[in-house]
Amino acid sequence: MEVPQPDWLTSEHMTGTSIMAVEFNGGVVIGADSRTTTGSYIANRVTDKLTRITDNIYCCRSGSAADTQAIADIVAYHLNLHSVEIGEAPSVETAASVFREICYTNRESLMAGIICAGWDKYKGGQVYTIPLGGMCVRQPFSIGGSGSTYIYGHCDATFKENMTKEECKKFVLHALALAMSRDGSSGGVVRMAVISAAGVEREVVTGDKLPRFWEG
Amino acid sequence: MSIMEYNGSAVVAMTGKNCVAIASDMRYGIRMQTLAADMRKIFKMHDQLFVGISGLATDMQTVEQKLRFRTKLYELREERNIKPSVFANMVSSMLYERRFGPYFIEPVICGLEDKKDQKNVPFICTTDLIGAQCFTNDFLVAGTTTDQLYGVCEAMYKPDMEPEDLFETISQCLLAAVDRDCLSGWGAIVHVITPDQVITRELKSRQD
Repeated sequence: MEVPQPDWLTSEHMTGTSIMAVEFNGGVVIGADSRTTTGSYIANRVTDKLTRITDNIYCCRSGSAADTQAIADIVAYHLNLHSVEIGEAPSVETAASVFREICYTNRESLMAGIICAGWDKYKGGQVYTIPLGGMCVRQPFSIGGSGSTYIYGHCDATFKENMTKEECKKFVLHALALAMSRDGSSGGVVRMAVISAAGVEREVVTGDKLPRFWEG
Repeated sequence: MSIMEYNGSAVVAMTGKNCVAIASDMRYGIRMQTLAADMRKIFKMHDQLFVGISGLATDMQTVEQKLRFRTKLYELREERNIKPSVFANMVSSMLYERRFGPYFIEPVICGLEDKKDQKNVPFICTTDLIGAQCFTNDFLVAGTTTDQLYGVCEAMYKPDMEPEDLFETISQCLLAAVDRDCLSGWGAIVHVITPDQVITRELKSRQD
């Protein structure tokens, strides 16, 4: 007889997620929530979904935790080798291209929605989104993950061209707080990183310091 | 996703020294989306009897209405309040009437009743969706967060707690458990029932 098992024993780890990245003049601001789920059990409530690819390029991961971790490791390997070959820091477009190659070729087997963002000296701050099917497109800002569906309107209404770094950080923080409040598979803390010519500054905004909006 | 996880909820009841407490989360959601953070899942039947209902929200509302109806009829006929243990039997038989097409809920009944030689004895009881009763004298849990609640309650519960201590314990257990469940949270409410009063407090919690 089949013994009924709780779903946290049999489900895959998913990063339900709300992720976001915004370009500004001089760099990018990236942000993510920190919840990893197995079914409806929260396996990790302080996950770091902002993964380093190189010192100047990071990616935001959503979808299957295993798939995105494996892909990020492979891309980091390729970029590391490439940077030795060309003798300088790799470009963000190259990283996005490697992500796209892996995600498109293995599209049937993977469940990975990735936002690749960083700074390089050729084109400055860039955000590339590589959603489920494996396409790759550059956008001034990009949102992803299950929580992003709740904030499309908010982001379209709030985004302005030529925002400063501080305005971008506030934009990311508010959008992610709203998404985390509505989406069951997003929550925890907001992790943000600012990538620019000067390097990476990471920051964590804990639950008590998150902006609170109307709560029905 | 099973039908019991369509809405999501966390309900816990604990006994203390001549007092009982019952607590629940306040989330109203549909699958992973949260629609409101002010949903009541614990209902007062009379000053010494509360029932918390977890499971499918529509059945939660229907069963609450039917129970309130039957309790009021009992009070009209008997001219006294229904005892928690009698109420629990009523819940059980009402759910079993629907054995092959059940209400998708798990109720937690909690109150104080007078026994032969003692007054204000704590009473807690839960049933499954078809009315199988479970009595204990420490704590009971229901909803989508049961695995987490069992863990924290087992660790933090001690017998014969005073009302203030009981409030503190049940609140911390609930808040810690819902932090590990996507489908519950978004606020919490706690009722502590003592022989002379009921203290209701809403807890400020994470809204994620």
